[in-house]
Amino acid sequence: MSRRKGVRRNRILLHVALTIGALLMIVPFVWMIVSSLKSHAEITAFPPTWLPADPRFSNYPEALQFAPFGRYFINSLLISIGHTSINLVVAVMAGYSLARLPFRGRTVIFLAILAAMMIPTYSKIVPQYLLAKNMPFFGGNDYLGRGGQGWLDSYWGLIIPGAVTPLAIFLFRQFYLALPVELEEAARLDGMGEFGIFAKIMTPLIKPAIATVALITFESSWNSFLWPLIITTRDDLRVIQVGLAAFQQTDATLWEYLMAGTTLATLPMIALFLLTQRYFVQGLASTGIK
Amino acid sequence: MTTAEHRTVAAPPIARTRKGPARSGYRLGRDRRRAGVLMLLPAMIHIGWWIGIPTVATIVLAFTHYDVLAGTITWAGLANFLDIFADPIWISSIWHTLIYTFFTVPVAMAIAVVIAVLLNSKMRARAWYRAAYFLPHITATVAIALVWKWMFEPNIGLFNSVLDLFGINGPAWLSDPTWAMPAVVIVSVWKGIGLKMLIYLAALQAIPLSVYEAADIDGASGVRRFFAITLPLLRPATFFVFLVSAIEAFQVFEQVYILTPDGGPANATTVMTLEIYRSAFGNFDMSRASAQSVVLLVFLLVLTLISRRITRTDDDVQA
Repeated sequence: MSRRKGVRRNRILLHVALTIGALLMIVPFVWMIVSSLKSHAEITAFPPTWLPADPRFSNYPEALQFAPFGRYFINSLLISIGHTSINLVVAVMAGYSLARLPFRGRTVIFLAILAAMMIPTYSKIVPQYLLAKNMPFFGGNDYLGRGGQGWLDSYWGLIIPGAVTPLAIFLFRQFYLALPVELEEAARLDGMGEFGIFAKIMTPLIKPAIATVALITFESSWNSFLWPLIITTRDDLRVIQVGLAAFQQTDATLWEYLMAGTTLATLPMIALFLLTQRYFVQGLASTGIK
Repeated sequence: MTTAEHRTVAAPPIARTRKGPARSGYRLGRDRRRAGVLMLLPAMIHIGWWIGIPTVATIVLAFTHYDVLAGTITWAGLANFLDIFADPIWISSIWHTLIYTFFTVPVAMAIAVVIAVLLNSKMRARAWYRAAYFLPHITATVAIALVWKWMFEPNIGLFNSVLDLFGINGPAWLSDPTWAMPAVVIVSVWKGIGLKMLIYLAALQAIPLSVYEAADIDGASGVRRFFAITLPLLRPATFFVFLVSAIEAFQVFEQVYILTPDGGPANATTVMTLEIYRSAFGNFDMSRASAQSVVLLVFLLVLTLISRRITRTDDDVQA
């Protein structure tokens, strides 16, 4: 009797501890939304109010008019969709090839992909910028990539350089390796071509993996900052993260609009995560890397 | 390990095709090779161009003087390295990176392992707790760092208002040389807990229940079980989490850039990446930035080698 009581008390303590911790974790999100609904007078008042006296949803349309957050939002969306679709097509094929199609040099290439996965951003960012700037025939450049600005300030530069990730190739390879070889064999005996086996037999079987990789790619693309920051200077090409940072630097005291902007920038990802938690967790736990 | 297993599974079909009629077997092998190369080609070109070349180029640029405007390049030897190590701001940025890593990684790991252990039991609302702790990881660092900046606001921000309730006069946080770095660390710890917790959760689920049943019979308390059983069994996961987190911490940029755009008051939060960013895209001195990147890369390599060595001896002990 007393033992059961103790277990029950422990259980309640556990929930209390976890709830307090969870609340601490979501304080910034709550404060962001609360702040985005306050008037300018209320948000700059001391002491601050906990809840807005009169929730001002008009902060959102006003923020969108004050700064081109709508444009930033569309840019982020275009780039994230571009990254995700290119990465899926290219990495699925590469992963399949590395997992199921034997050819000379495959192991070496796989090791190279592993190495590429571990190369830190700062060991490549400067030449990446120079490569983008000197892209031949683009942005007023001649055939040697001189004279113009190349892919700087263009959707090409925003989308192409980061479009294929070694991590996606690696993940797809692992998922394809786990499929039974009999399936492939049977299709081959039926006279199906290699591309047919890939597209019609094997790939439909890794749909959950495709969802996982798509989500990881979309999330990291939506949240990316450094590359869009250095590659663009034009306001109409800014992505949402760069736009927010620029807004904060120019209009530092308009916290209510900034919080409305950050809410718009984070809520889609939060919603996407809560709806697709299973795939996210599966992918991230199996790799441990972003 | 898994790769080796799969390779042995995948081997028979090749042998079988060789046994079959010579012509069709040859054609089949050729078809597969060609398909394999064709499907790999786009990825190889992209990665070679955007990762392979830049990585090599960074190292080459570090030993040259490259003039972006004129497009001229001359050999510099070690001049760039001598240059940056004569610069007190670069030296202090190395220190700040080390300090940041030293405080961020272990604190976040400790919190993460405790939460993972608490979450590792059948309970109501488990998925909701996990989502709450993981949420900071998936939200954009830039956007959420702006929210923290607002919370750190010295006069009307949330932090100092709460401290005010307890009669404490809070510091100016991001504009105070003493408190700027701790503020950045707080944000990074908060953001880093989720992923570490998730890796620990995955590792915890691999621990067989029978281990704990023996402890239950012995009547070990929860805290004792944690230190005597769980933590030692989590050692491989701990090393993995440490390595991934330390590599990430060495490359911290976004929260520093947002919270303290100019490297903080008196360069209090200038980290290595911020200096690289300033050299490359503030002063357009690509060679200097490359030399600094090479130094960062060396730090990361040393870190990887050390932790690999530690893990290996760990494996030897277990085997």
